[in-house]
Amino acid sequence: MQNLQSSLSRLVRLKAIIQALLLGDICVVLGGLVLVIYLFKNLWINEPATKVQISVGDKVFATYSLNQQREIIIKGPLGEATIIISQGRARFAKSPCHTQYCVHQGWLSHAGQSAICLPNQISLALLGKTKPYDTLNY
Amino acid sequence: MIRSYLFLCALLLTGCFKEPFYHSQSYVFGTLVDISIYGESEARAKVLSNHILQDFQRLHDRLHAWKPSSQGKPSELGALNNAFERGAAPLPIAPDLALILNDAKNLSVKSNGLFNPAIGHLIGAWGFQHDEFNAPRIDSASINQWVLAKPSMNDIIIEHHAAYSTNPAVKLDLGGYAKGYALDVALNYLRREHVKNALINIGGNIIAMGQHGNQAWRVGIQHPRAPTAIATLDLPDGWAVGTSGDYQRYFMLNGQRYCHIIDPRSGYPSQHTQSVTVLVAPQAPHQTQAGVLSDVASKPIFIESVENRSQAAKALGISHFMVIDEKSHIFVSKDMASKLHWLAGDAKFTILP
Repeated sequence: MQNLQSSLSRLVRLKAIIQALLLGDICVVLGGLVLVIYLFKNLWINEPATKVQISVGDKVFATYSLNQQREIIIKGPLGEATIIISQGRARFAKSPCHTQYCVHQGWLSHAGQSAICLPNQISLALLGKTKPYDTLNY
Repeated sequence: MIRSYLFLCALLLTGCFKEPFYHSQSYVFGTLVDISIYGESEARAKVLSNHILQDFQRLHDRLHAWKPSSQGKPSELGALNNAFERGAAPLPIAPDLALILNDAKNLSVKSNGLFNPAIGHLIGAWGFQHDEFNAPRIDSASINQWVLAKPSMNDIIIEHHAAYSTNPAVKLDLGGYAKGYALDVALNYLRREHVKNALINIGGNIIAMGQHGNQAWRVGIQHPRAPTAIATLDLPDGWAVGTSGDYQRYFMLNGQRYCHIIDPRSGYPSQHTQSVTVLVAPQAPHQTQAGVLSDVASKPIFIESVENRSQAAKALGISHFMVIDEKSHIFVSKDMASKLHWLAGDAKFTILP
């Protein structure tokens, strides 16, 4: 009996709180929900990568953790390319190739993402716990 | 004591259950070749993979549209192109090249000339026949000249194991055919070697055999404007997938993108499409095979006007395809929609009738 009474009074209090909500409060709640959904989509569905594998020609050059700040200079057939690792991401920063497609790819942060420099035969592949696919169609 | 014994057993067992999976990556065909083989010893997989790569290199050297095969000597295709330009007498060609040219001719006719490997001069005029190209100026006089000359696959006559052209403007460029053909060559080789499971990727064109363990081979489809996959699909045994994109080879001039996919009717690059992906089932023997079809069929759909895309797909027997247009709107055929797994949960797309 006492239990029922206390839960009833709690309900009444909750009702009072809801009635006292202002437009701004509702916006804050909705904003929070949107943020949670956004984070869920970006962080949950696409798994963030933990490592970057760098290959030159047909050989794996090295695999680095993304959890570091690092600049790596690698020699390909055309010359030296610079790869930067920073804050869980990696990218081509400089490349001796004409087209610069590899540099334009920008930052990579999720497992399965890759950037390939065909002229200089250097490629980056981001690795995570699971592999989202066996190979990429492009 | 028992615990450490169990631990040792577990360690040994993981050694036994190492996945029989081999993967290699190389640069052939001016692009990246990715070979995965499942269910073979590493040593055998390596031999098989090297054999495939050698076959690809040979094909590349023979069919290259603008590079000489060795010092000063043109490739097999280059020699044929030279003969076409001179209006020379029929030049003897290898039996497999005759089959390739007849097949390409047939596909060109089916596509109403939108797939046209005879426009090598036009591709050259745009500067795309170089490994490294700078942003060229647009030479409209030269472009118009090659369009007016109407080079067509029908100008090529193949009889008695020799070929000639009735139009000196014909220059073969098999850039939209050779990679698909190489996929079929590799698949046939692996089948002859009784390999059950493999996945071959030549510059984004892919063919599958068997599966990856107890799972189908899974392929990611590149987003045309972001460095990520937009969707994945499972590739069953003998199926192939190909994409034509305006992001693979292009140059920017005054804020406009000029890609390597040229509309033979206007002589200018198609600018109303970002990418077209086609998925192709295994085909009956003695006709165009899945690899070739997956390479060729995306081009006419890419070039064709918006309202005629489904028609262009149908003309080549394609029922699974996806188009991403210049505004990044996604259109998917009904059959394709059932195959795709979107990676962003909220992908918006229109199903084509």
